[in-house]
Amino acid sequence: MSRLEAKKPSLCKSEPLTNERVRATLCVLKGILTSSYGPSGRLKQVHNGLGGCVCTTSQSSALLSNLPVTHPILKILTTSMQNHVSCFSDCGLFTALLCCNLIENVQRLGLTPATVIKLNQHLLRLCTSYLKSESCACRVLVDFSSPQRLLCLVRSIVTSKPACMLTREETDHISALVLRAFLLTIPENAKDRLVLGKSIIVPLKGQRVLDSTVFPGILIEVSEVQLMKILPIKKSDAFKVALFCASLSGDLSDTGDGTVVVSSRVSLENAVLEQLLNLGRQLVSDRVDLVMCQKVIHPSLKQFLSVHRVIAVDRVGAALMEPLSKVTGTQPIGSLGSISPSSYGSVKDLCPAKFGFKHFLHLIPNEATICSLLLCNRNDTAWDELKLTCQTALHVLQLTIKEPYVLLGGGCTETHLAAYIRHKTCNEPESMLKDDGCTQTELQLITEAFCSALESVAGSLEHDGGEVLTDMKYGHFWSAQTESPSVVHWPDLLSRCGCGLYNSQEELRWSFLKTTRHPFAPQTCLPHEATGSTNNLILDCFTAKLSGLQVAVETANLILDLSYIIEDKN
Amino acid sequence: MAAVGSAKVALQVAEVLETIVSCCVGPEGRQVLCTKPTGEVLISRDGGCLLEALHLEHPIARMVVACVSSHLRKTGDGAKTFIIFLCHLLRGLHTITDKEQDSLISKNIQTYRRHWKNCCQWKFISQALLTFQTQILDYIMDHYLSKHFLSIFSSSTKERTLCRSSLELLLEAYFCGRVGRNNHNFISQLMCNYFFKCMACESGFEEVFDLVDDYFVELNVGVTGLPVSDSRIVAGLVLHRDFSVYCPADGDIRIVIVTETIQPLFSTSGSEFILNSEAQFQTSQFWIMGRTKAIMTHLQSQNVKLLLSSVKQPELVIYYAGLNGISVVECLSPEEVSLIQRIMGLSPFVLPQASSQYEICNTALVKFCKPLILRSKRYVHLGLISTCSFIPHCIVLCGPVQGLVEQHENALHGAFKMLRQLFKDLDLNYMIQTSEQNHTSSPLTCKNSRESNPLPESVNGLIQRPYQGTIVKNKGKLAKTQTYLKVYSNLVDPSIELETYTPCSTPKVISADTYQTDETLRCLSPTKTSIIDDNEPFIESNSANSTAENTRIEISYENLQVTKIAGRGNILPVRDKSLEMCSSQSYYCSTLPAGCVLPVGGNFEILLHYYLLNYARKCQQSEETMVSMIIANALLGIPQILYKSKKGKDSFSQIYIRTLHALQTNQPIVSSQTGLESVAGKYQLLTSVLQCLTKILTIDLVINIKRQPQEMYDQDSEEEI
Repeated sequence: MSRLEAKKPSLCKSEPLTNERVRATLCVLKGILTSSYGPSGRLKQVHNGLGGCVCTTSQSSALLSNLPVTHPILKILTTSMQNHVSCFSDCGLFTALLCCNLIENVQRLGLTPATVIKLNQHLLRLCTSYLKSESCACRVLVDFSSPQRLLCLVRSIVTSKPACMLTREETDHISALVLRAFLLTIPENAKDRLVLGKSIIVPLKGQRVLDSTVFPGILIEVSEVQLMKILPIKKSDAFKVALFCASLSGDLSDTGDGTVVVSSRVSLENAVLEQLLNLGRQLVSDRVDLVMCQKVIHPSLKQFLSVHRVIAVDRVGAALMEPLSKVTGTQPIGSLGSISPSSYGSVKDLCPAKFGFKHFLHLIPNEATICSLLLCNRNDTAWDELKLTCQTALHVLQLTIKEPYVLLGGGCTETHLAAYIRHKTCNEPESMLKDDGCTQTELQLITEAFCSALESVAGSLEHDGGEVLTDMKYGHFWSAQTESPSVVHWPDLLSRCGCGLYNSQEELRWSFLKTTRHPFAPQTCLPHEATGSTNNLILDCFTAKLSGLQVAVETANLILDLSYIIEDKN
Repeated sequence: MAAVGSAKVALQVAEVLETIVSCCVGPEGRQVLCTKPTGEVLISRDGGCLLEALHLEHPIARMVVACVSSHLRKTGDGAKTFIIFLCHLLRGLHTITDKEQDSLISKNIQTYRRHWKNCCQWKFISQALLTFQTQILDYIMDHYLSKHFLSIFSSSTKERTLCRSSLELLLEAYFCGRVGRNNHNFISQLMCNYFFKCMACESGFEEVFDLVDDYFVELNVGVTGLPVSDSRIVAGLVLHRDFSVYCPADGDIRIVIVTETIQPLFSTSGSEFILNSEAQFQTSQFWIMGRTKAIMTHLQSQNVKLLLSSVKQPELVIYYAGLNGISVVECLSPEEVSLIQRIMGLSPFVLPQASSQYEICNTALVKFCKPLILRSKRYVHLGLISTCSFIPHCIVLCGPVQGLVEQHENALHGAFKMLRQLFKDLDLNYMIQTSEQNHTSSPLTCKNSRESNPLPESVNGLIQRPYQGTIVKNKGKLAKTQTYLKVYSNLVDPSIELETYTPCSTPKVISADTYQTDETLRCLSPTKTSIIDDNEPFIESNSANSTAENTRIEISYENLQVTKIAGRGNILPVRDKSLEMCSSQSYYCSTLPAGCVLPVGGNFEILLHYYLLNYARKCQQSEETMVSMIIANALLGIPQILYKSKKGKDSFSQIYIRTLHALQTNQPIVSSQTGLESVAGKYQLLTSVLQCLTKILTIDLVINIKRQPQEMYDQDSEEEI
C-alpha cells in the first residue's frame, strides 16, 4: 500500500532572466562552451566525485551529457542542444554558443520580448533563405565523383576535436579511413531508393592510431580457445551460414497460461536435447559450414557440430543480428523444427584474424554494404573521443549525401552571414517592418545583437589571444597572432582566411570583428572555379549547421519569452 | 461571518492566480516554464496546466483548480479567462459588501440599503447567481447577443460547409493564446491543413473532429531536436513502433489484425496439459510448429502481406512470417488497434479451431506499408484506405525540446476539443416574464426606488452612457432584418466577408410589452434601479404554480434545421408561437446553432456587458440588478487585460467607447482584430465561472485537519475477511 503524502506547493518565480544568479550560471556555461570550441579549443576534464570514469573532451555531446545542470533555464538550453546533437551529431557547440550569445546580447537591450522574438524570427528567416538560395557565397556543392571535398569535410571534423590527441599524420589516416568506411556502405547498384549500409566500429584500445583499418564484412570477436577449436578452417569457395535468433540452449518455450503436468519418468531436458540434436543433424545434412546464434548454444549441440566440422559461434548479441543477416543474406531462424532451405545464407570467405591482443573471425561477404572500422587509440578516454568523432563524421557524410552541399567552415560562414544581414536590414528595412509595428531603431538594435552573436561565435575559434578580423569584400573570418595591434600591414600577418578559400595577397581591407563598421554588401555567388583550385578547405556540414542555426534562435526565443518558472518541489 | 471569510480568501487566492495567469493571456502573453519532480521541463501557456503545476495548498484554491479542470475537460479552452473573470467577480462582490458595511456604520439606512441589509447574505447572492446563470444569461444570449453572431459556415449554400478562411481565423486566434508567438501562425496553418486533408467530404467534418479528438495521441508523432518549422503532415497512419520483420512489397497490400498469439500454446488458462512421455512432448511440439506454419502459409495464400498484432508473437511466428513474405508489427496498443478498426472497418482475425482450409474474410487493403525514419528512430508507416469520412493523416511535430513539442501537442488537442464543442448546438433555456401584475407593479416600485435612492454605484462609471434613446433604438434594430458585419483582415485574404443575420422583427410583439414598461420606467426615472420585492423570490412563486400556468415550448428539431439552412436568425418560429400564448411566464428552449463565432478581442465580453447593463436597468428585482451589474463589470476585466499594452487608438477605453457607440447608434462594430472565437465556448466559460462562484459562496466554514487521511476502504476489506 502506497503511503499517502500531501504534495508540497510549487515554487513560482517571475521574470527568471533578470535574476542575477541565472545570469551568472548562464555566463559560466557560456565560458565552458566558448573555451572548448574549435580545433584549438581547450579540453575539459569532467569527473564525477562519486565514481565513474573521467572524461576528457571538448565535444558538445560528451560535455553536455556529463554536465548536470539544475536550473530549469539551463536545462532547457542543454537538452535542446543534446537533442540537436542526437539528430545531427555535429554543430552542437555552435548551436549552444549562438543561443547563449543571443540571449546575452538581447537581454542587454531591454526591449519587450514580443518585439525581440518577432524580429529574431525575421532575421532567422533571412538567414535560412539566403543559405538555401543559389546566390549564397558560403555554400559549396559537393561533387561525389571526386573524394577531395568529402575528405576535407571529414578532416575538418576530425581536426575540430582536439581531445582525440591525433598528430597530423594520424588525422589524415583516420580521415581517409572514415571516408573509405562510408564509401563501403554505399550499395554498388542502387535502384530508385538508396539504402545505406552500416559501418560497425570495433574497439581496439592500447594500439597505435595508425594501426586502425577498415574491412568489408564483419569482425566477430572470439576467444583464443574458441578460435583454436575452429581452426583450421577448411577451404571452399563459399560458406553456407545458418543464423539463429531462437535460443539453442534447450530451454522450454512459453507453455501458456494453464498448467503443464509432467510425469515423473519423463525428462523434458532429454526431449529438448534430442530435438536440438535432430536440428544439428539436419544442419549437417544440409552442409552448413557456419552456425551463428544470437543467444546460447547448448554445449552438447556445439560438441556435435564441431565433431562434424561445423563452426558454431554463439552469444552474438542483438546488435549484430541485423548486419549479420545483411552480410550473409539470411533470415534469422526462429524455429527448432524443420528449417526451410531458403533461410540459409552464405559468405564468400571466412578467416581468422588477430589484431593486437584480440582474436576475430572475419566474415567476408560476396557483396554487402556492411563494413567494420577497427579503431585504435592509445588510451580509453582518447579512444572514446575518437569513436564519437568517427561516428559524427560518418553521420555527417550520410547527411551530406542527402543534401549535397557543404558550408565554408572556420568561422567564415558566420561572419559572412552577419555581413549579409547587416547589409540587408540597413538597405531594405521596409520589407521587414511592414507587417508588425516595429520601429526602425528596434530593427537596428536587434540586427546588431543578432549579428554580433554570430560573429562572437566565430571569434570563439581564437583561443590564443590573437586578433580576430573580417575583410570588407567577402566578409570572411581571419585571425592573426600579434603582439601589438598597432601593426598596420595586415597582409604580412595574415595568410589565409578561416576556411582557407582566400589568401591575404589580394587587395583586401580588414576590420576588427569587435568594432562597429559600416555595413557593406559581401560578395555573393561563389564562382565554381574559386573552390576548385583550393585543396585544403575547412568545411562544415550544411544540414547540421542550418538546423543548428534554427534551433539556436528558436531556443533563445523560447527562453526570452519566459515570464514565470514554476518549480515542482516534490 | 465565516462565509465572508471564505469569499475574502477566495479573492486573495484569485488575485494571486490572476497575476500569474494574466501574463500568459492573449496574443501578447508569454510562456511559463514548469519543472516536474522527475526533472522533466514543460513549457506552457495553458492555464489548466499552470494551475495544476502550482500544487496549491489552500482548500479554496484547490476547489477553484478543480472547477477549472472540469471546465477544461468539457471545452478544452478558457482556463486563464476563467481565473480572470472569477477574480473580477469576487472583487465586485467585495466592493459591494464593503459598501454595505459602511452604510451600517453610518446608520444612514435608506430603503434600498435596508433591503440590502436584509438580503445580503452570501447564500442569497449565490442563489441570485444561480438564477442569473440559469435564466437571465440564456435570455440575454438569445435575445440580444445572437444578432451579432457570425457563422463559421459559409452561409450562401444550403449545406453546412466549412469556410476555410474563417476556420483559419478561428484557429489563429486560438493558438495566439496557446503557443509561443513565433509559432502560432505556423501551428494554426498546420492544423488547418491537417483538418482539410483529413476530411473526405464536406459534410462529414463532425466525424473527423470526434475521431481526431479521441485518438489524438495515436495521430501525432513528436520529434525533438529539429526546428519547429520542420513539422509536417504525412499521409497515412504512423504507428509508434518498428517492424518485427519487414518484407518489402509493392502494390496493394492485404492486412490482418490479430489479438492473440498465432502459435498455439501447450495449455490455455484453466486447462491442464498432462505429459506422459517424451515422444508425446516432441509430437506436440511438432504439431505446434506445423500448425503455425500452416496458418502462416495460408495467410500468404490469401495474399496477406502485413500482420498487425496487439500481442507479442513468438519467434516461430516471426520466422514463418518472414519466410512467407509477411511483414509483422507487434505490440500495438489497444487504442491503435481500435483506431485502425474504426478507419478501415476491419475486425480482428479469429484463429480457426480446425486446421482445415477456410476463407479469411477479415482482411483489408492498404496502399503502402513501409518504415519511416524520423530522427534515427524507426516507425511503421501505413497507407490505410479509409471507409469512413476520415482520411488518415498524421502530424509530425518537431521542436528543439520535448517540452515545446508537448506544448504544441496539447494546444492542437485542445483546438480539436474546442472545434468539436463549436460544432455542437447549444441549448438555451430561459423564462420570460410578461405577467400583467408585473406590468402594473413596476411603475410603482420604480417610483419607490426613485424616491429612495439614486443609482447604486456598482456601475464603475467608466463612461457616462446616454441612457435615453437606447431602447427606442433597440426596437429599430430589431426591425432591421440584416446587418452585415465586416471583418477587415489584413491577413491572407483581405476581403473576407462574414455575414450575420439578425433575427427578423417578429419578436416585436413581446418586446413591445416590455418596452412599453421600459419607456414608462424611463419617464419616471432615468436610473431604474432595483425593485423592492416584498414577496418571496420570483423563482419560488413560479414553482408554486408552475403546473397551472406555465407552458413549456419545445422546438422540434426539424424546425430548427429549417431555420439553420435558411441561415436566418435562429429561433424565430418558436418565438412566434410563444407570443401567441402570452402567458404570464413561459419557458423557452432555443438553440445557439453550431458554429457561432464572434471576433476576438473582448467583443463577446463588451457586448454582453452592454446588454447586461441594459437588462439590469430594466429589471425589477434588486438582487437581479445587482448580480447583472457585477457580472457586467467583471466581464470588462478580460478586454482590459487584452489591451493592456496597447496605447492610443487601440487602448481599452477607446475601443470600449467605440463599441458602445456603435451599439447605440446601431452601426456595425468594426474590430481591429482579425481572429474569431467560439461563442459556445465563451458561454460555457461564463456558466462554469458562475457555478464555481456559487460553490465558493456557499461554503460557510473551512475546517482544517492535520492528520493523515484515513483509509476509506480498510473497513470493507476486513468485513470481507
